Amino acid sequence: MSNESPGFFRQLPSALPGLALIIVTLVVIRTWIEPWMAGAVILGQKGWLIKVFHLNFILLGILCGMLYRNVIFGGSMPEIFSNGFKLSRLMIKTGIIMLGSLYTFSAIVQLGAMAIFLIGGFVILTIIMVLWLGKLFGLDRSMTGVLANALSICGVSAAVATAPAVEAKGSQVAYAIATILGFGILTMFISPFIGHALGLTDLQYGAWIGTGILNSGQVLASALAFNPNVTPGSAVSIAEIWNIMRVISIPFAVFAVTVWYWAGQSEADSAGKKKGLGTLLVEKFPVFVIGFMVMVFFTSMGAFGDVGIKGGPPASGTIKTLRDVMQWVFGFGLVGLGGYIDFKELRQAGGAPLKLGLIVGATKYIMALVVVLLIKDYLVSI
Amino acid sequence: MDFGNIVVAVDGSEASQDALSHAVSLASQGNTTLTGIFVIDSQWADFIGNDWQSSKGARQGFLDYIRKEQEEQAEAARTQFEQATQGMEQAAFSVHAGDPTAVLLEQASCAGTGMLVTGRRVFQISGRPSLKALAVTLAKRASRPLLLFP
Repeated sequence: MSNESPGFFRQLPSALPGLALIIVTLVVIRTWIEPWMAGAVILGQKGWLIKVFHLNFILLGILCGMLYRNVIFGGSMPEIFSNGFKLSRLMIKTGIIMLGSLYTFSAIVQLGAMAIFLIGGFVILTIIMVLWLGKLFGLDRSMTGVLANALSICGVSAAVATAPAVEAKGSQVAYAIATILGFGILTMFISPFIGHALGLTDLQYGAWIGTGILNSGQVLASALAFNPNVTPGSAVSIAEIWNIMRVISIPFAVFAVTVWYWAGQSEADSAGKKKGLGTLLVEKFPVFVIGFMVMVFFTSMGAFGDVGIKGGPPASGTIKTLRDVMQWVFGFGLVGLGGYIDFKELRQAGGAPLKLGLIVGATKYIMALVVVLLIKDYLVSI
Repeated sequence: MDFGNIVVAVDGSEASQDALSHAVSLASQGNTTLTGIFVIDSQWADFIGNDWQSSKGARQGFLDYIRKEQEEQAEAARTQFEQATQGMEQAAFSVHAGDPTAVLLEQASCAGTGMLVTGRRVFQISGRPSLKALAVTLAKRASRPLLLFP
């Protein structure tokens, strides 16, 4: 079994072909394909592809990644490109850290308070719903535990964090991941349509998908597909605050589900296997969130100049450059993420986990939209 | 009847028991070599590729956890194979690493394989969903004789 990468610098030379493919793909999309789509007249309408399908470089990048893996390379990434595509995770994390330059602490407090309210409510209700349905469908407790966190927090990351704590078998994790990714990919493509059709603002859209889409990669992609601008108040700036709240809640949700899981086991079975909240925080807390907060700190201190918040002075040259770089970094990362979407795995998802996943995923997705529309007058913009 | 080297996929569960029993019977009748194989799935890091935000500890902890599960399964498979082949002289068991579908397909197309014997549900205990299509893939692409069990 291949283990994780040996480290960034040791991995870099072998990653160059994959990175080159990702970079060339995005450059071609942004330099030639996007401008062509904007000017192309189809069915008598200029820019039809963009107006009707809401295609932009983000969605095209993901589609190219998917095309590489599933069509051109026949279902698996060739060894020569594999390490480059693995680095896409690092690119997205880098982009999220840079995203800290969109916010001051006061903006974080305003948005965060709102996000805690929505995310907290949805996480708790989703966990309760999954535990109830898991019992109803007769699912194994480990499977139910993995699905509870994966469906309530942030998909694959939560499944990975929860599985060892509830003794889930590999196949149980695999089916949970396939279910979440399948649903996440569907919502990633349909959400921009729905958002535009309903005339949602960036704030409403970001709050909706940040709450309703299951997997974090798809939240990011869907936000940038709705509006590729990376500015304060844009869909991605809202959705990612929501997402960071979800990420921070991983250790707590793992702890809660672990307590539930071991409550159903005998004392002898659980001896030495239960982990405390402190241990889980150290093991599961994602370090990039700290990087994001450090960036917010520097932004609040004015290290990069004015951030260009609505009603304030325009953004400084440094901030504008950072935002341009972020668009490229996210674009690269999402081409890579598309390269990890494997249709042959998603096609085989099925059974009770899929049924439960679809019921809970659809309920959460729709309810998040309903709640956001109900409280739209109370949502605070930055 | 000489089948040459018979290769049987073993995972230590009921899913491989019928195939193993039949392979042992065929090997005994033909006095041929029997090779049992288990494949540790190397594709997990790739499979969870859409996870970009886990801490390194959480991600590596998960991969270590899955690896441990598969190593335990490999041991169960070895035990199952050794129990079934007690008294047989020409029986060997080996553990491979890779994509189970690709490894079995390689065995099913290798000139040194007289026949590949496998259950349809083999390697699914800790496997990825695509392993459900293992038997179909083998049936379509194997160039050596293939014996599939339900």
